[in-house]
Amino acid sequence: MILRRRRRAAIASKLWWGASLLALFAVIAVLLSIFWFVAARGFPALRPAILTTVTAGTSGGLLNAIAGTFLLVISGMVMVAIVGLGTAVWMVEFASSRPRALVRFAIDVLFGVPSIVVGYSLYVALVEGLGWGFSLVAGALALAIIMLPYVVRNADLALSAVPRDLREAAIALGARQATAAVSVALPWAVPGILTGFLIATGIAVGETAPLIYTAGWSNFLPSFAPTHSPVGYLTYVVWTFISLPFTASHELAYAAAVLLMLIIFVTNLASRTFVEYYAQKTHRR
Amino acid sequence: MTSIERGRRSGVSPEDPLVKGLARAWGLQRPWAQLIFKLGTGTTAVLSALVVVLICVFLTVFAWPAIRFNGWNILTGTIWNIGNQYGSGSITHNGYSAEPGAQFGGLVFIFGTLATATVAMIAAVPLAFLVSVALVYRVPARIRPLANALVELMAGVPSVVYGLWGMVVLVPWIGTKLAPAATAHLGFLPIFHGDAGSGNGLLAASTIIALMVIPIMVATIRDVINAQATSVYEASMALGSTSWQAVTRAVLPSVRNGMIAAIMVAFGRALGETMAVLMVCGAAINTYPQNIFQSVNTLAAVIVSQLESALTDSSGMAQRSLAELAVVLFAITVVLNMLARGILRGADRSQEAQ
Amino acid sequence: MRKSLITAVAMGLVLATASTAFAATRMLETGSTLLYPLVNLWVATYQKEHRNVQITTQGTGSGTGISEAIAGVAQIGASDAYMSNGQMKQHRMLNIPLAISAQQINYNIPGLNNVHLNLSGPVLAGIYSGRITYWNDNAIKALNRAYASRLPHKVIIPIHRSDGSGDTFIFSQYLSFSTPSWKNGPAYGTTISWPTVQTAVGANGNPGMLQTCKATPYSIAYIGVSFLNETNKAGLGYARLKNRAGRFVLPTTQTVNAAAATLVSRTPRDERISLVFAPGANSYPIINYEYAIVNPKQANPATAKELREFLNWAIDGNGGQKPYYLDQVHFRPLPASIVKLSRSQIASIS
Repeated sequence: MILRRRRRAAIASKLWWGASLLALFAVIAVLLSIFWFVAARGFPALRPAILTTVTAGTSGGLLNAIAGTFLLVISGMVMVAIVGLGTAVWMVEFASSRPRALVRFAIDVLFGVPSIVVGYSLYVALVEGLGWGFSLVAGALALAIIMLPYVVRNADLALSAVPRDLREAAIALGARQATAAVSVALPWAVPGILTGFLIATGIAVGETAPLIYTAGWSNFLPSFAPTHSPVGYLTYVVWTFISLPFTASHELAYAAAVLLMLIIFVTNLASRTFVEYYAQKTHRR
Repeated sequence: MTSIERGRRSGVSPEDPLVKGLARAWGLQRPWAQLIFKLGTGTTAVLSALVVVLICVFLTVFAWPAIRFNGWNILTGTIWNIGNQYGSGSITHNGYSAEPGAQFGGLVFIFGTLATATVAMIAAVPLAFLVSVALVYRVPARIRPLANALVELMAGVPSVVYGLWGMVVLVPWIGTKLAPAATAHLGFLPIFHGDAGSGNGLLAASTIIALMVIPIMVATIRDVINAQATSVYEASMALGSTSWQAVTRAVLPSVRNGMIAAIMVAFGRALGETMAVLMVCGAAINTYPQNIFQSVNTLAAVIVSQLESALTDSSGMAQRSLAELAVVLFAITVVLNMLARGILRGADRSQEAQ
Repeated sequence: MRKSLITAVAMGLVLATASTAFAATRMLETGSTLLYPLVNLWVATYQKEHRNVQITTQGTGSGTGISEAIAGVAQIGASDAYMSNGQMKQHRMLNIPLAISAQQINYNIPGLNNVHLNLSGPVLAGIYSGRITYWNDNAIKALNRAYASRLPHKVIIPIHRSDGSGDTFIFSQYLSFSTPSWKNGPAYGTTISWPTVQTAVGANGNPGMLQTCKATPYSIAYIGVSFLNETNKAGLGYARLKNRAGRFVLPTTQTVNAAAATLVSRTPRDERISLVFAPGANSYPIINYEYAIVNPKQANPATAKELREFLNWAIDGNGGQKPYYLDQVHFRPLPASIVKLSRSQIASIS
């Protein structure tokens, strides 16, 4: 009787693991299908000139969009790195429960704010209100706000998961709170924090709607002026050029989509390798 | 005697990375440095919280004329009509006026938002959990980094690319294969009853949303399992349960809070996803889907698709009503968050009671 | 973040003053996605001959074009629709026609896509309001005696634009001008409150319309004429439409020109007029002016000068109106008398 139950449990176990592996394969299969969908149309369009020239009307290259994408995402990242990490550290290390719950709540609500609402609010407030025009700062700020909850949430989770004995050991050695946070908790939490940044980067690189209303679009290389100078970016090309009645612009759109995927793939792979390496090195305990 | 020396005496090796890290950060030990660090991080936290408050206040102020003009109709009305821009005269309600014929009912979009997000989550939550445990316990260590990277890459696929794929691959398949077959053979089930439609609709939108939130959930759940559940899994196995029983009885309970957090993040994203949904939802207006295949529309999608026309409304009421829809979306997110929080707290209490 | 904002603002002020001192004149064109391809063709050539101006183009949508021209963010707001009286009362802007566009009605009926079905405003209004639900409805049969037996008993799937659009504007104008019940119902606009039709689908942009129509058998859609090559490639059929004179006509160079010709004399000085449902036996019923919405008071004289120069080039027979540009998107050039009216409007930009 017990034996039979055991066997049944063993079979159920096998089945469930089978299902979980199937789920994993299905998810990866869909991803590959999407990747194939884009690659089959985009790679043939990836001429070298695309990487070296700027957009001219409905054809030309994508240099302006590539440079703009990097500029916008990196600027947004700088803004969100300081604010997001600081927020998470404060929540885990210093905050008493009520203010912590309040900030956490605010961050959770921010998740639900559609990016277009962020973009449109900034459009009314900054682009028109303060008269900045379409600009780098408005676009980067929109991305920073969109990235913020992902960065804070993951850093919060990672810092909260730091083993208590590690912290206690540091305190026992005489470390004060901030010292323990910076020297012990943060390094331990790096993989989790980086995961947050990764997801945030992916979302920022792929963001369209809010940038249309903040960064605008430019056929020329970004000028680095913080305001009064629109910036181009790759998603605009995907979203807009696919809507034009010319084959040349469709090619450009799919080329941009491939580039987006490649950028995300490379940054992902690089930081993932780093995270694995780092985790193996520091998480032995 | 410095604290580090005291620590060394207590038996921690000076070679321990902990001691090394502490020694490096020892400059922070000064009281004023501690204070500045605390104040600095506190300021960033206030900023983070302010972002959402500012957006909320800004939207509410901007939408105020619409809130007064629409009254409850924004929540209960099913007709969305920005009025005749090229007609003559205007209509006035509660002291605010709009173009003739204008009425702003948002119920269709509220329903669509909740329906697409719920259907997506019903599919995505179990899938994400299965994928996570497979990644942690079943994928060989050698190829795990690759599998991890692939799943995370999914989180980075731009929503317009999901949308394009949905439009060109998924929707035609639903419209010409799945929907006609399901409505013909399984029509007795209410979710499959009625016209098959074009493939654009509730199912297509939910599928795309599910695909977008699964990797976001997996990334979090996987990390939480790695951080919190390795020991309980081993312990449960040692007690003689099968590996799957170890997952359901030991791992699942111990990562529950992390999972709920991940679900909330995903639900937020599901409620707010715009571009991809817009491209496959069928953009229903003034009508509800009769089955799972027919057109829907969501608050986020309607905000972005109607903004264009709203800008041509010289009374400005359409634009403000869209802002009011954003406020409604805000409110839905807040309410769902509070509910989830209540569930978490209740679960914690019942756990303590045991 | 606060600190970086303050520095950013400070740097912005410095750079803004510095850049106006020496840089080339920068202009922003934004708005209509229908006009966007044409403007892109124009700008690509124009830039080569005018190195001192940098024109950035954006396809955002007519509503954005109008509002950003009003706000001063853009110098040229491209729009498929002329501004309404209500808008003009608040902001006196110039509505300058740049070209003439048209729209075809596409359908995807397996077996019938190689023929041009006859359709009329009232029948289309019936389809889009759910009164006509099958392709073999008597109302459709009555217009197509030759194909009556081949019209299938299949549910019609009407596709409309989900985003605000000039295409919706002129399509709903055609329905309003030809069908009283539509005029008193949904009426016309860049977005309208579509009547409830259970199988109806909203699609995003002209490519969305095309893709959905192509992928959905027994659907019907209205698509801008610049996509004619694409809809033909996709194997969709397009209809002969009933004009005001009661004849069924296809969108061709002759029928579009004929329609424009009948309304040229009625075009007012501010050039805000609908060209839809024009009189005349050969007039195609759904055509429109594509507009540049321009603020007559520009920020500085240099911008005003460059703006006048570009717009004058765009409407010139040896400039932007050359068939090389217009034919690629199936637009028609402006008649001479309209060019004259436009020139006098352009001259008032200062």
